[in-house]
Amino acid sequence: MIQVSDLVVRYGQGKGAVEAVRGVSFSVEPGKTLVLVGPSGCGKTTILFALAGLLQASEGAISIAGTPVAGPRRDVALILQNAGLLPWKTVWQNANLSLLLSGEYRRKNASEVLEKLGLDQVKNRYPSELSEGMKRRVGVARALSTSPTVMLMDEPMASLDTLTKESVQDLILSLWQELRFSIVLVTHDIEEAAFLGQEILVLTERPARIKARVENPGIGSVAYRWSDRFFATTAALREALEK
Amino acid sequence: MSRNGTGGTNGGGRMPRLRQSWNELTDRRGVQPTIAYAVSLLLLLALWEIASLVVRAVYGSPFLPAPSVVFRAMILNAPGLGWDFLLTGWRLVLSMLIALAIGVPVGLMIGHERILDRYLSPMIYIIYPIPQVALILFLFLLFGTGNATKVALVTLVLFFQVVVTARGAAKNLPQEHLTSVRATGATRWQVYRHVVLPASLPDILTSARVAIGLGMALLYIAETQSERGGGLGLFISRKIVFARETAFAGIVAMAILGLLLYLAIDFAEHVLCRWKYTGGRSR
Repeated sequence: MIQVSDLVVRYGQGKGAVEAVRGVSFSVEPGKTLVLVGPSGCGKTTILFALAGLLQASEGAISIAGTPVAGPRRDVALILQNAGLLPWKTVWQNANLSLLLSGEYRRKNASEVLEKLGLDQVKNRYPSELSEGMKRRVGVARALSTSPTVMLMDEPMASLDTLTKESVQDLILSLWQELRFSIVLVTHDIEEAAFLGQEILVLTERPARIKARVENPGIGSVAYRWSDRFFATTAALREALEK
Repeated sequence: MSRNGTGGTNGGGRMPRLRQSWNELTDRRGVQPTIAYAVSLLLLLALWEIASLVVRAVYGSPFLPAPSVVFRAMILNAPGLGWDFLLTGWRLVLSMLIALAIGVPVGLMIGHERILDRYLSPMIYIIYPIPQVALILFLFLLFGTGNATKVALVTLVLFFQVVVTARGAAKNLPQEHLTSVRATGATRWQVYRHVVLPASLPDILTSARVAIGLGMALLYIAETQSERGGGLGLFISRKIVFARETAFAGIVAMAILGLLLYLAIDFAEHVLCRWKYTGGRSR
């Protein structure tokens, strides 16, 4: 379970300190999804990076599976905007970066993940040789390589065309249904939030605070994208954001 | 192989890396660079010939020897010229390797570690603009008139150039590359090994290219300061007054040395930065 209590994150010290997140609290049950939605630059990514152990909380507490987050950890994977691929590493090396760096690399496991995501044929190619959709898949493959229980996603579908975006969303949905990791997704896309978030937190302008919580238990199928509940959720999110 | 990667062949592992890099280097845009080099060389020789004729017509004396005369001098002086070519080449390559071996890690660390950048960058900026060639007498006193002084002078100059370039490259790394590696729990060494160094390598190799010209000029000065030790600098300075065509043979030998080093760096870039030459980039 992910537990965030009264999280405050400040950049800098003393008088020049800038508050990015103010008093945010939420929890995510194992195997559930939560989406943070809010205007650009409001502090969504800061919350995600604090969950990933890349930033320290100035105040408050974050714990995952009962353990306080003190740094990056093996059971938590992070997918970045634009997939965060290293241009000088091949698909294979990018997808298995975590395992290669930790010395836990197993050829069989790595092959299975690439095969599952349809990347086996391009494993020796460089990111510059891939389409945007394929790059995002490599980002997902990297995240899956360590079999995480928590998947953190920082606008992983940003700047994709509609059809590619939907195909990556469908992929994430199917992997979530199969592997049942918890998801914390950051996005400013209302439809993406309504498609993937069982609970959606609407954040204010910086410093980020929670201004609305929207329950959205109906997710789980591709067809949900065209259901009345989906449109009702997007309408509720739009209203909360515009308030 | 389709762009979406749903079909096609394995792109990397089949051909040995060196051979693949060589093939890419020699088949850029479908034009054999050897042909391009030959055309460029012929053009240069034609311009040189014309300039030689013009100088002869204006001054009535062959101040600027024609290419054919210079090439004859090269053949006649081949043993001595060849030895001096090797001496200068060895000194230049050694200086570059020392400057890169020390300058790259120092520059990358200054660029990447904020605390080092804060305290060491001002020092670099103060020392870098000083013409190190002014230290040549000091270096002669320190190391004598042998190879050590010549190598030390060139190394000193190239070191600062490499440090400034590597620092700049490490300072401007895309944040997402660093974050993606840090998120895996990478150690500081792994961040350098997998992000900072490979991302900075293209800039470092560009700096090495610039270093060839600079190093050659400094080596020429250093070699002419002593009557011992040989090298193309001394070869040229000894002949420039009374055997101009032989001196020009030395200048051509320097040009050939520079060209060989440029080609070596181009090849190194194709091997070490293969990713730059895929997906239609850097073509």
